[in-house]
Amino acid sequence: MWFRPAARLLPQPIRSSEAACTPGADYTPGAAYNKDKMRQRPGVILVAGFGGLLLIMAAAEAGALLFLNSLRHNDTSLQARFLARNRTLERIRSNIYLSGTIVRDSLLAPEQSGAQAQVATLAGLRRNSENALQSYASALEPEEAAPFQDLRSQIEAYWNVLDRTLAWSSDERGKYRDAFFYEELVPRRTSMLQIADRIEALNEEALRRGDAKLGDLFGRLQLGLVAMIAVTLLGGVTLAAFTIFHILKLEGEVQQRLAESVHSKASLQELSARLVRAQEDERRALSRELHDEVGQAFSAVLLEAENLLDLDPAPEVRSHLDSIRGVAANGMNEIRNMALLLRPSMLDDFGLLPALEWQAREIGRRTGLRVQVASQMPGELPEEHKTCVYRVVQEALNNCAQHAQASAVQVTVRQEAGQILLSVQDDGSGFDPARIRGLGLLGMEERVRHLGGVFHIDSRPGRGTLLRVALPLAAIPETPARSTLKTLSNPKKSGELETEMVWNGGLADGADSHSAG
Amino acid sequence: MAQIRILLADDHNILRDGMRLLLERQPGFVVVGEAADGRETLQLAQDQHPDVVVMDIAMPNMNGIEATRRIVEKHPNMGVVILSMHHDESYIIRSLKAGARGYLLKDAVKAELILAIEAVVDGRSFFSPQVSRILQEDYFQALGRKNADDSYQLLTDREREILQMIAEGKTNKEVANTLNLSLYTVDTHRTHILQKLNLHSVPELILYAVRKGIIS
Repeated sequence: MWFRPAARLLPQPIRSSEAACTPGADYTPGAAYNKDKMRQRPGVILVAGFGGLLLIMAAAEAGALLFLNSLRHNDTSLQARFLARNRTLERIRSNIYLSGTIVRDSLLAPEQSGAQAQVATLAGLRRNSENALQSYASALEPEEAAPFQDLRSQIEAYWNVLDRTLAWSSDERGKYRDAFFYEELVPRRTSMLQIADRIEALNEEALRRGDAKLGDLFGRLQLGLVAMIAVTLLGGVTLAAFTIFHILKLEGEVQQRLAESVHSKASLQELSARLVRAQEDERRALSRELHDEVGQAFSAVLLEAENLLDLDPAPEVRSHLDSIRGVAANGMNEIRNMALLLRPSMLDDFGLLPALEWQAREIGRRTGLRVQVASQMPGELPEEHKTCVYRVVQEALNNCAQHAQASAVQVTVRQEAGQILLSVQDDGSGFDPARIRGLGLLGMEERVRHLGGVFHIDSRPGRGTLLRVALPLAAIPETPARSTLKTLSNPKKSGELETEMVWNGGLADGADSHSAG
Repeated sequence: MAQIRILLADDHNILRDGMRLLLERQPGFVVVGEAADGRETLQLAQDQHPDVVVMDIAMPNMNGIEATRRIVEKHPNMGVVILSMHHDESYIIRSLKAGARGYLLKDAVKAELILAIEAVVDGRSFFSPQVSRILQEDYFQALGRKNADDSYQLLTDREREILQMIAEGKTNKEVANTLNLSLYTVDTHRTHILQKLNLHSVPELILYAVRKGIIS
């Protein structure tokens, strides 16, 4: 259970996780509802559009199929009717021929008795052709009515003439035979056949008309289909255009929102970084102000009290002065500690390592935690990197002391391949980093991320914790160090700092931990 | 007895005024100049040749540590007493390395300041008891951490004697006279001491002595 509260005295840097909650706040439920409605409407339109289009296409197809079916049916029935009527006409015609032949045969026959058989046959033929006429008459085309009536009366007359001949005696037959044959039978027959031909022609005409009608219907079907296709095509194009437009609009909105969210995330991070910087600047200023102004004021009070004491005042005054001196000394001590906790002046005056070593000593004094600091840095770091490493170590050490029940911590800082590598290893109780992510931990991570670094926690319950940070150095241009000593340190000193570290380490932290530096 | 000439370097007027008042009431003490920043201090040290510079660390233009380094470099006999609010060893050690021979905290009482000035004029070192304690605490803490033997045990009695005298600010010649040894022998002892203690300079040696409680 470490990494929960951060250093108590220090105000926390703004966490982006907290800040990240705020942009959602203007997303009121009402606005969300309206947006949902707006998002639903095109959905309904799309479903209706596509559904309607599909329905129209299906209906058109079904209609066309039904129509085609009835066309084919009409066509076959037309053909059948034509053929049936043709056959009837043919029957009538053949009956007429046959009857002519029979009459001729009977006229040529020497015997009356033989004619008797022909009469019966003839009667059959007459009945047959009358039946045929009857059936033909049942479905008569209007223009056929006149020739058909003509034909019918002619046939009637013809049969009557034939009947008359049959009643003839042998003599009559012999006498009128030739005349009847050439003047009556043949012309009548020819005329009847002509009428039949005319009717046939009419019948054919009817067939052609039927065909033409069918063709007409087919043409209308075609037209209908074309219209239908045009309509569906138009609908489809409209729908497609609408869909494309809408999708593009949505896409645009998505892009815009993505850009907005990226931008707002970036500006949040920027804000957070700036807040951290501002907070750090403020701490530095406050620390310096406390140390230099308030502290010196106490110091002056102390001196003045001493001066008064030198005047050999009355015992009563002396005791008051002693008390003032005590209060001032106390206040100075308090102010000094407060200033150090806010931001240790060594960080600005001497650099990272002295500040880390102070922190290590300080936490050792306070909690008994043994902290070793080892450093391998060729020179001073940019301001932000220095602060970042210092604050991360400070937070980690506080966690070690407060939550991890650690007894020893090893802090290592080194520079390698253009980056600063920091590790803080403790022998404490450890924790499960996947489950526990306290504010302190988030704050460290945030600081590291601002500088483009990588933050890694390796811990398991009972196994201690290893915190690793890698900060790229090239990312940020070097900023001049701000010293609370009111002057910039002599730049020539950097080499000397190294030897000082070794010497210092030999006395304070063990030469082994510094031999690398 | 000749007067002790003192230069005050602090950027707070009220403090300088208070100190001047306090010091000048002391017989034999005279404040020959007041400087409000590091550069002014260098200039006044050059002009006034004070015996002792009482110096604050946090000053504009040039900080007290750097000013100390330059003054000691130029005027090896000029004593520098740091009077600072800083009580961390990083400041103390850097001041001593720069050549300061006294380090007082600003909550030091007047007696300490006077003792320090007198000691430094005598060529000795002086630290606030608090400062000595801080250095010793850190040292023992480090020793405890390392669980290491104290290298002081490596020194012979003679070497310990010489260590103390050097730490008190005595020159090789003074040591040689006091112990009735040749200058060359003292120098050899001194080299051995530095080697055994893994130290590299007299300021380091003084610091070591303070930490060990050999001098205060």
